[in-house]
Amino acid sequence: MDYDVVVIGSGPGGYIAAIRCAQLGMKTAIIEKYESLGGTCLNVGCIPSKALLDSTEHFITAKNDFKEHGIELSNLKADLSKMISRKEEVVSQTTQGVSFLMKKNKIKVIHGTASFVDKNTVSVISKDGKKTRTTGSRFIIATGSKPASLPFIKLDKKRIITSTEALNLKQIPKHLIVIGGGVIGMELGSVYGRLGSKVTVIEFLDSIIPTMDKTMGKELQKSLQKLDFDFYLNHKVYEVTSTSRQVTVKAEGSKGEKIEIKGDYCLVSIGRRPYTDNLGLDKTSIDLDKQGRIIVNEKLQTNIETIYAIGDVIEGPMLAHKAEEEGVLVAEQIDGQKPHINYLLIPGVVYTWPEVASVGYTEEQLKEKGHKYKIGTFPFRASGRARASMDLDGLVKVLADHSTDEILGMHIIGPRAADMIAEGVVAMEYRASAEDISRMSHAHPTYSEAIKEACLAATENRALNM
Amino acid sequence: MAIEIKVPTVGESITEVTISNWLKNDGDFIEMDEIICELESEKATFELNAEASGILKILVQEGDTVLVGTAICEIDEKSIPQKEKKDAPGISEAPSEPGKLFEMKVPTVGESITEVVISSWAKKNGEYVQLDEVIAEIESEKATFELTAEANGILHHIAKEGATLKIGALICTIEETSTPPQKNNVPPEKEVPVHAEDNKKGTYSEGHPSPAAAKILSEKGLSPAEITGSGPGGRIIKEDALKASAESKQSDTSNLKAPDNVSLSKEISNRTQRRKKLSQLRKTVSRRLVKVKNETAMLTTFNEVNMGPIMDLRKKYKEAFKEKYEVNLGFMSFFTKACCIALQEWPSVNAMIDGDEMIYNDYCDISIAVSAPKGLVVPVIRNAESMSFAEIEKEVLLLATKARDNKLSIEEMTGGTFTITNGGVFGSMLSTPIINAPQSAILGMHNIVERPVAENGDVIIRPIMYIALSYDHRIIDGRESVGFLVRIKQLLEDPSRLLLEI
Repeated sequence: MDYDVVVIGSGPGGYIAAIRCAQLGMKTAIIEKYESLGGTCLNVGCIPSKALLDSTEHFITAKNDFKEHGIELSNLKADLSKMISRKEEVVSQTTQGVSFLMKKNKIKVIHGTASFVDKNTVSVISKDGKKTRTTGSRFIIATGSKPASLPFIKLDKKRIITSTEALNLKQIPKHLIVIGGGVIGMELGSVYGRLGSKVTVIEFLDSIIPTMDKTMGKELQKSLQKLDFDFYLNHKVYEVTSTSRQVTVKAEGSKGEKIEIKGDYCLVSIGRRPYTDNLGLDKTSIDLDKQGRIIVNEKLQTNIETIYAIGDVIEGPMLAHKAEEEGVLVAEQIDGQKPHINYLLIPGVVYTWPEVASVGYTEEQLKEKGHKYKIGTFPFRASGRARASMDLDGLVKVLADHSTDEILGMHIIGPRAADMIAEGVVAMEYRASAEDISRMSHAHPTYSEAIKEACLAATENRALNM
Repeated sequence: MAIEIKVPTVGESITEVTISNWLKNDGDFIEMDEIICELESEKATFELNAEASGILKILVQEGDTVLVGTAICEIDEKSIPQKEKKDAPGISEAPSEPGKLFEMKVPTVGESITEVVISSWAKKNGEYVQLDEVIAEIESEKATFELTAEANGILHHIAKEGATLKIGALICTIEETSTPPQKNNVPPEKEVPVHAEDNKKGTYSEGHPSPAAAKILSEKGLSPAEITGSGPGGRIIKEDALKASAESKQSDTSNLKAPDNVSLSKEISNRTQRRKKLSQLRKTVSRRLVKVKNETAMLTTFNEVNMGPIMDLRKKYKEAFKEKYEVNLGFMSFFTKACCIALQEWPSVNAMIDGDEMIYNDYCDISIAVSAPKGLVVPVIRNAESMSFAEIEKEVLLLATKARDNKLSIEEMTGGTFTITNGGVFGSMLSTPIINAPQSAILGMHNIVERPVAENGDVIIRPIMYIALSYDHRIIDGRESVGFLVRIKQLLEDPSRLLLEI
């Protein structure tokens, strides 16, 4: 065998798995199809979108709030091409960081497309068409996902685009139509909404960010409407056509009412599909489920014992940090350790402004389970810190067990929610009660005080600053 | 609280199962361990038991195929069945005087059982228990039982975990009350919230391991239930897990990779020993095995069997057999059948000594040695001589499954006129099994290995199994034992003889 472990795909799941394997003394290689390492997350996902979200957030703050802060500006202008090139720089530094980590951990990087030959061998076709073989005792499939589409939509990648193209537009859309009100659509919609685009969101379900607690979707919708967003919920898109300059989207509401919307760009963000193309899974007869995801057991092992799979190619939320935890888990499993992942406590995050972050059960899930719960909420409007920064939208919502007071879910929409949710994760890993958090000192003035106040409200309805 | 019931892992390669039949309806009240549905995997059909008592909520419909680990139903534990309330008016509707003590004693569990051990308390001291809830697990020398509450009320432990009690001895008392303390009738505002530090007993968080502690415990093979948490609210913190692991480090270091630093590894390796009380089952096994060694004139005779013909036969009819009988055609049916024929031809091998007399058994009750989680158990296939291959396979599967789940009843393990033990499943080439008293002989099966054998002057590779017969020379002579084993060999090497009984 050439290697103890061969990882296929260098996204956050794959490269973290490779590093952990190397740390545990295994001879490790990682195979990547593209020139730069890092996968979707670093190249066309989390990192570049956050770079653009931060740039545009600065812009909108300067435009809307600076005057009230006492800062006068004239000739404020957004330079999209500069924003995009700064984003490129961020991406290139981050992916180089991954290359450095591979060298540091003595992980062999193989560029090319891997395809299984048997349970211990892959053939790798490099860009120039050269074919080589690599053998390994274990394989970790971490090939991630690609944007999904609908059968009747022809992605021309010019006017009808996916998230990948939306990160590299040459001009600010006048009217961006977003199909799918999930995380990606709301984030990229925000980027262009802040730069002045009219944004129309068409969502099939009755709420945007539908997998999260319903309160979050409602609050986010209110905030985005201030940015000239239009929402068509409960609408099913049935036709998307484009000319060289225009896109027309036709959709039908739940009562049969038909709408037709014209815009200059249409972002299709209805979700992502697991990416296993050209992997040669049939050669090793690895089982897939109906959605095309690789079936794994609790050790994340496929039906072939030498082959593991992690991240977006298997069941579960398509999140970089979920893939990372799974990468570590598999590496440690191979080493004979017995790590666990508590899937309930993998936080979900939306980088709009206000940000949305969530961990544990939603109120809808608790209702459905028939679990008796208490709710405590605290709006940022009542936070001194939020008033100082003019970030008054949003709230913290804490769900706790009716009798034991154990925290069952924490949902935040507001400033820095994505960073603050970590407190909820720690608390819930230790099964803290709402009162436990209420009795821990939170620095003043901070946004995190809102969590404490929401917990006080959940404990005994005794928030102090409301 | 609602408990999710998930599809259990049923076999290495099984990834999905089909819900073949719901035995309970949505909304039914079900008791813990009741069978709630039947599942079908590509290899076998099995039943799913309720993990708790409560109201059933079905999540996956009949005929649906779901992945292993998928939640297929929920059981709402808090719901007390309306029906039960009516059935027991003395308890629920007219609350009995609080403070009235209900004494619970060790029940009679079997003819020869005189004492039991409290292996674990399922409910804590001072906890509110409901009628028929499992409150403790009790171990006798033959089997494990669950003790259920005989009244609603507050549980007071009398006997400690690990204590040995005589039949009829007082285990615990239940202070009868109709409702759990401070429940729903108290307005939520006044409800006393859980306060981590000052609530040492019975908090929901007691015994909850931190993420690091959970990993360490899992690697030690320890369950959080075995550890006393020293963190707030009885949580198990990393230090608790580390200390617990120190006790079993000896076995653990062998799994670790050799560290780079040799001197470090010397520091790590310690010389601690651990003491653990023998379980009742283990005590019985040891006592009986020594007794047999001391009181019988035991010796072993060997032979070898060419397993080729049986393997061919199995290969040929495997699918058809499975299709018709819904059970796999294994080796056990062949061996059991062959033993029955040979036992009837050599009745002394099927006999036993009782004082000055010999008891001849005109039936063949074949005991099968099975490795269960708590030790060796020997369930019995009764009247195996009159059973078909399929009936034997089904019985073996049933008994082995029960053994694995600690569900064998004493009756199922009592009696037996002859035993078959298969060390081959663990890779044994050859062994001298010990007789299962009061029986007089035991057949040992071993692994099948391709060996060169001479046939008609040529060396040929054959799949060979060595077989061993340990027997009590007091009543079985060499001629009989050897003849018996040769007969087994003959029947197995030419399985059509099994059909014709020649």
